[in-house]
Amino acid sequence: MDLLHKSKHQPPLDLKGSLAFSEAAGSGCRYIRVETDSALPDTSPGQFFLLRVSGVSDPLLGRPFASFSGSGNSVDFLFRPVGRGTELLASLPPGTRVDLRGPCGNGFPVPRSRRLILVAGTLGIAPFLDAAARFSRTLGVTTILGVPGHGWRDFSGWCRDRIPDIHIASDDGTIGNPGTAVEEALSLFQHEDEVWACGPNPMLKNMGAMHSAGCERLFVSLERRMACGMGGCLGCSIETRSGSARACVEGPVFEWKEVLWNE
Amino acid sequence: MSKLAGLHINVGGVSMETPVIIASGVWPMNPSLWPKGSLEGVGAICSKAITLEPRAGNRGNRLRETHSGLLNSIGLQNGGAVSFIENDLPALSSSGKPVVANIAFETLDELRMIIERLNSCRDMIGAIEMNVSCPNVSMGGMAWGMDKGSLERSVTAARSLWEGPLWVKLSPQAPSIATAARICETSGAQAVVVGNTWLGMAMDNDREEPFFDRVFAGLSGPAIFPLSLRLVWEAAGSVNIPVVGCGGICGPEEALSMFLAGASAVALGTGLFLDSRIPSSTCEKLSEHMKRRSIPEIKDLAGRGRHFRRLQGGA
Repeated sequence: MDLLHKSKHQPPLDLKGSLAFSEAAGSGCRYIRVETDSALPDTSPGQFFLLRVSGVSDPLLGRPFASFSGSGNSVDFLFRPVGRGTELLASLPPGTRVDLRGPCGNGFPVPRSRRLILVAGTLGIAPFLDAAARFSRTLGVTTILGVPGHGWRDFSGWCRDRIPDIHIASDDGTIGNPGTAVEEALSLFQHEDEVWACGPNPMLKNMGAMHSAGCERLFVSLERRMACGMGGCLGCSIETRSGSARACVEGPVFEWKEVLWNE
Repeated sequence: MSKLAGLHINVGGVSMETPVIIASGVWPMNPSLWPKGSLEGVGAICSKAITLEPRAGNRGNRLRETHSGLLNSIGLQNGGAVSFIENDLPALSSSGKPVVANIAFETLDELRMIIERLNSCRDMIGAIEMNVSCPNVSMGGMAWGMDKGSLERSVTAARSLWEGPLWVKLSPQAPSIATAARICETSGAQAVVVGNTWLGMAMDNDREEPFFDRVFAGLSGPAIFPLSLRLVWEAAGSVNIPVVGCGGICGPEEALSMFLAGASAVALGTGLFLDSRIPSSTCEKLSEHMKRRSIPEIKDLAGRGRHFRRLQGGA
């Protein structure tokens, strides 16, 4: 497939591990760390793992979470309980045995511009938590978090603790600047900036405004339901200008202009 | 490998190092995507369903998790028979494992043309596996495997066109799996795979409409295992050709149960989504069980659970 050259081509590993800690990250979100029995390969921002509780068949499938701070034998995740799977994962005590498949997917490409804008919608901040600090050593990095409003105040604070110069925007204007993450990004965009985005799919579709504003390197990390995470089941297909692509292999990161945003 | 000793088996003309098969529809056709070590314990690999022409697959939702199960509505997305022969088959063959070509067809003409194309690379194909869960257009869309006449005509046609090993993957929706298996045997199939996903559905309660565009979807995973085991029991009791147990096997214990019920081999599908090392752990379990019971060869394990002494009937 034409798109495959953009992925790293490394198949995921099936790993076992234990929950090292599980902390509140504000606004109902959880910050967890998994320590794996064997060493993790290097991961790139935007790559993800399927996480499930060992030996449990209901919920059945691993939940896809973007990883951050993955190194050696530990990997961190950020999520919000929104269904049976994530609710179970949020309730686990430290020491619980878990299964991991990953790292899956391609991740964001190596930045080519001197300035990088990271645009996150709520939990979409996860792949950028580590990347923002790492890339700011060599690039000008601007990180933007968009949230719906006051219900996300604690989570916004949690993110600001980790990225002190983060720009926050809220739809209802109660946290940071009023407006959306996309509007905030547009106001900060300069010609030749590279832009990465992760968040709900409607927000990513709206990132087209950056494209219209002249952003040449605009990458988005798409969310899809998925089962295998390794390119077998074709459950996570995404229509692109190059044909059908799998979010778990050719994605989840795509150039914005490659995606057919007709849904 | 010594730990595979005794596991070699011939299933319907396919010689396999182990009796553990990767089922159709779950495994990438590109070996560069296979997790390291995941072929350990694998005896054969089934392709994704191959249709005559390329298929884009279904639009809309494709997956929905259920209690201990998974509904899918992928829609046989594939590149068509020519692309399979040119791209996927050489890649799958490079694994060194027998490749089972799963074929789906809506008319007997399509069946003929797919097999004619596969005949051009006969030596790279371990067996053809007919997917008879797809609709027979001439029967108003009823699945081939649901109707005795359709099943007999399609298997007979395939048998006349294909000289290699011929398997049929039966539909669990068949009115009688025993009858369907017998029809396959008398029509020339060398093995039956029992079964496939079960037709189910999900409702989108917020939208007040079916979750999947095609309304019905195939249910797989541990939720269906007891149903599959019953089908294998019934099919194995009605035919002399090998039965491949398939449907909901997510671990070595379920695989062993399939053998005891009469399966000569097992195919793993959704279980591989949870752990790609299940083939290896299954082989270890089978070996351990055989050693403990002094069973020299895996073929002697098939159906051992059928010779039970419990009183039939009564409270």
